[in-house]
Amino acid sequence: MTVAKSDAGAGEQAASVTPSDQRERDRMRRRLARRRGGGWWPYAFLAPWFIGLFGLTIYPMLDSLYLSFTDFDLLTPAQWVGVDNYDKMFTEDPVFWDSVHATLLYVVVSVPLKLALALGVAMLLNRDLRGIGLYRAAFYLPSLLGGAVAIAIVWRQVFGGDGLFNDFLGWFGIAGQDWISSPDTAIYTLILLAVWQFGTPMVIFLAGLKQLPKDVYEAAAIDGVTPVTRFFRITLPLLTPIVFFNVVLQIIDAFKTFTPAFVISNGSGGPLNSTMLYSLYLYKKGFTDLQMGYASALAWVLFLVIAGFTAVNFIASRYWVHYDD
Amino acid sequence: MGHQISRRTLFRSASGIAVAGALGTSLSACSGGTGAGSTSSDLTMIWWGSDDRHAAYKKVLAAFQKKNPKIKIRPTYSGYDGYFDKFNTNIAGGSAPDLLQMDTALVAQYARKGVLAPIDSYVGKSLDLTGFSKTLLAAGTVDGKLYGVPSGIGVNQLTVNRSGLEKLGLELPDREWTWADLKKISTDVHKKSGGKIYGVDDGGGSTLQCFEVFAREKGETFFTEDGKKLGFTADTLQEWWEYWAGMRKANASPPPAITSAAHNDLTKNAVVIGKALFTFDSGVYGAGGSITDAQLDFLPTPRGDFSGAREGNFVNGGVLLSATKASKKVADSVKIMSYFAQDATAIKDMQLLRGIPPTEKARELIASGLTETDKLNMANADYIAQRVGKASDALAAPAPPPQGADQVWDLLFQSNLAVAFGKKSIKAQLGAFFDQSAGILEG
Repeated sequence: MTVAKSDAGAGEQAASVTPSDQRERDRMRRRLARRRGGGWWPYAFLAPWFIGLFGLTIYPMLDSLYLSFTDFDLLTPAQWVGVDNYDKMFTEDPVFWDSVHATLLYVVVSVPLKLALALGVAMLLNRDLRGIGLYRAAFYLPSLLGGAVAIAIVWRQVFGGDGLFNDFLGWFGIAGQDWISSPDTAIYTLILLAVWQFGTPMVIFLAGLKQLPKDVYEAAAIDGVTPVTRFFRITLPLLTPIVFFNVVLQIIDAFKTFTPAFVISNGSGGPLNSTMLYSLYLYKKGFTDLQMGYASALAWVLFLVIAGFTAVNFIASRYWVHYDD
Repeated sequence: MGHQISRRTLFRSASGIAVAGALGTSLSACSGGTGAGSTSSDLTMIWWGSDDRHAAYKKVLAAFQKKNPKIKIRPTYSGYDGYFDKFNTNIAGGSAPDLLQMDTALVAQYARKGVLAPIDSYVGKSLDLTGFSKTLLAAGTVDGKLYGVPSGIGVNQLTVNRSGLEKLGLELPDREWTWADLKKISTDVHKKSGGKIYGVDDGGGSTLQCFEVFAREKGETFFTEDGKKLGFTADTLQEWWEYWAGMRKANASPPPAITSAAHNDLTKNAVVIGKALFTFDSGVYGAGGSITDAQLDFLPTPRGDFSGAREGNFVNGGVLLSATKASKKVADSVKIMSYFAQDATAIKDMQLLRGIPPTEKARELIASGLTETDKLNMANADYIAQRVGKASDALAAPAPPPQGADQVWDLLFQSNLAVAFGKKSIKAQLGAFFDQSAGILEG
């Protein structure tokens, strides 16, 4: 509005323009220019991220949603089959249930153990010792190696029939077995590998512990509180937001585990599908059996399951997570 | 009480982002589309095999390029594990190789999906197949069209650690041996070695080299001609699994942990790790080069010892060389196929690394340069091929396996393992196997 008026003014009353009018008009023009140019610049800078979000995440996600209702073998065009894939999954695919079983076992056992270990070590490292940084780094190290294929290969050797672990048991006169090739123990070697990589939650716990107020502990010390009570009555309640954060992240991570299961079982998910973690099964269906439509359906079920777990987590958190505000 | 953790919303949004990111990757990883063929000017070629085979391929290709400087070949090679996963992804992504080594077990699926180029029109022109028998070419023929040139004669052989047998004072069985003979000598191996070595790796879940031959001895095939059903009966499979249950009980075969470890991993094969003296896995020699230091020898898959047993062995085509349909260089690829099939130096360089050479002429060419083990291998293969040729009761060589065949084979392996681990009874597993196989083959 102001713009139009001053422009009109410029034409009709050019003769009677005062210096102050002129200044006003210049300022207006500058502000306008700034607003117009500035309006697009942020989006330009965000563009790479938006392209990534839409091109590499949202579009493929929607595409996979479509494919999950089709029969698609990667090589010939997809055929619409309605909910057949989902139907087949729940009614006539025993391997699907094997993989659900293996994955749930993996998540339910590995996440609490990993977090307990992470918290325990974080408490040990939360003190002022000489060279404490070195210790922290040392405990974090396995997590740096964690996702690597190499470490999974080492794991396969360590827990194989003639591996280091059996040599170790041999010192105590215990006859070992091939832990990787037995359907009753294979999944636990994977769980152990996951638990060993406790570095990331440990660092987060450590950061949380460092923020806890000293005065509460001082008061507790004066009252003669035992270390156990101190942990359960002070440390843990104050730390619940951190615990919650770690639980959510670790559960999601655990559900998506692929590399160790793939490498340790040599891509087979064996023995007897005991290490057929969900992501591995999904990969096998898609890229080995060429059932990309079915694999997409599997992916969406995983999406819903993880979303469900996370939602339950958030709802439950109202009852046990203590925020100090 | 201080400034500590109160940033509820921060946590919420952080977790939210983490969830979204986490899920996004797992979903978007599963999407793809079909694209156009390779645009590069080089002719791309892929194969799988051992280091020895890689070296031989490269040598032959170098010689070929010297004679055909206009054709520039860019080779990529790996082991078998993941080879076809990668090939699938390449095709889907529009970067399919022009020429590839193809598995006789998979050629039918790929041909029917329109991935491979039919090459009949080149035969007799730029593709010289003189000396290739009709039965041999059947390995690369799908629905009446030729989709690949067989590299050689492939037969089912057992690999035997002969020096291991001699050490125990046991003799190499006769080539006309039966399943009962296999059980006897395997049991002897376990006894004479003081329980340290088992006789033969567990073949209960082994298909191509093993159960298929047994089924053919019964007059049954693995898949029906049209590939839509299993060609054998539940009785046959039951008898088979019972035989192997007996083998494990007698310690003629190793416990399931060893069998399971060897799955997809030649380096864990019972013979390679010194836990058995006989193996059905021909890869231990053949494609993988000699892994063990021992003197190896070879035997045909045992004969049936029941009345009316037929000749169960058969001859297939080793591996194939196939061109892809999307390729613009099919003519050049065919030239290379022809070179591998007929050129004297190429044949000599390749030796037995892709199976026993396909033609009489080629076999004569390599005869002088063979190692002791190579000679034994070729002699046994010759023996089998001739026996099969003479047999009047042998079924025709199996048609290329249908879509889903590899899943059925894996199911057979897993089923035998479930029985061996004592997780399922043979009866219960039989039902599950036939149900699930039917589901897989129906698609």
